[in-house]
Amino acid sequence: MFEKSDEQLIAKALQGNMQAWLNLLKRHEKSIYNYGIRMTGKNEDALDLMQEVFISVFRNLGRFRGEGSFKSWLFSIAHFRCIEFYRRKKPMQALDDIPELSSQDKSMDENLYITQENQQLVQAMQQLPLSQKTVVELKFFGQFTFAEIAEQTGISSNTAKSRLYVALEKLKTLMEVDYAQA
Amino acid sequence: MPKHESQHTANGLNNEQLLAGWLEGTLDKGTGLQFEKRCLEDDSFASQVETANFFAAGAELFQGEEVPSWDAEKTFLGPQKSPWWTWQGLPALSLATSFLAIVMLLTGLQIQTRDGALTISFSDQHSSQEVERLVAVKLSEFKLAQQLAMNNYSQGIQQQQIDASGRLTEYLLGASRKERREDFAELIKHVNEQRTDDQLFYARQVSKLQQDIFANPFEGGLSPTNQ
Repeated sequence: MFEKSDEQLIAKALQGNMQAWLNLLKRHEKSIYNYGIRMTGKNEDALDLMQEVFISVFRNLGRFRGEGSFKSWLFSIAHFRCIEFYRRKKPMQALDDIPELSSQDKSMDENLYITQENQQLVQAMQQLPLSQKTVVELKFFGQFTFAEIAEQTGISSNTAKSRLYVALEKLKTLMEVDYAQA
Repeated sequence: MPKHESQHTANGLNNEQLLAGWLEGTLDKGTGLQFEKRCLEDDSFASQVETANFFAAGAELFQGEEVPSWDAEKTFLGPQKSPWWTWQGLPALSLATSFLAIVMLLTGLQIQTRDGALTISFSDQHSSQEVERLVAVKLSEFKLAQQLAMNNYSQGIQQQQIDASGRLTEYLLGASRKERREDFAELIKHVNEQRTDDQLFYARQVSKLQQDIFANPFEGGLSPTNQ
């Protein structure tokens, strides 16, 4: 009832109040961590990505104008940190390329400690190119509108719709394969 | 070209747009019917919708993993001073100053300082004191100009009169001298004429006497004409 809004916590954090910053972090860390799991497919990478995202958020906190929601702004930063993360991990792979599963990736199951129900979705998402995976993540898990996704990722709304459609086609095939294997 | 991109309807909504509208709940009655029709007629589209539905449900049921303990304090990089142009009150201040400027413009606000007094007025018109002051200044200027003009005029008239009287005196003096000269000339002329006439008269008398003497030298010079 008396919970402070994101904007109030940001204002206090900007004044040097660490507790306000930690409260803000606590409020959003789970969503960013799970975003990292779905985007990277690994818990350790998700943790690293989360840390990078929050450091970046803190550095840019003064530039947050409150024009949109903090969550939307947070995910736009997360998106760009995620792209950087991918480029660091796989410098030769374009964002629209279908990921090639390396021996490290094939052992994903061993590195992914999540419930069985979640695993199927996460594993299917890992086989999408980053550009499509981002739209699926933001649309289904982030519950953002296409306009917000477009703003966060720097693409047009129609491109976001198109990427989702193509991603769903691919996911459908992957799920069918998974069911057949099961 | 992918199959879904070529499927446009009369309304211009393709499969991607229909699916996007359905996911966001922005389909109206017409597009809703179109969506249902497309689902019935187009198996691949129906399959896409099914996958989207499955994923949406899966995302809702997705049990978020708990965040392992991590050093969150490391992300706090110390107090930072936000740049002044990102101050939250700046748009409000901007709006307030714009509003103030509009009010000042509409009310004709005037701020004047005179003789150490600050005057704020809300009208384009001058105050009565200001009007009186301006009228007094104008009147004194007018009076001064009039006096100057009158002085110049009277001096001009005076000078003109002096010149005219001088010229008249000169004329009168000149005219009387000329008349007297003419009168004397006339008198001298008359005297000279009279003298000439007398000389002629005496010359004739002498001549006649001479003739009489030569004609009758013994009669005492008396001619018959004299008898």
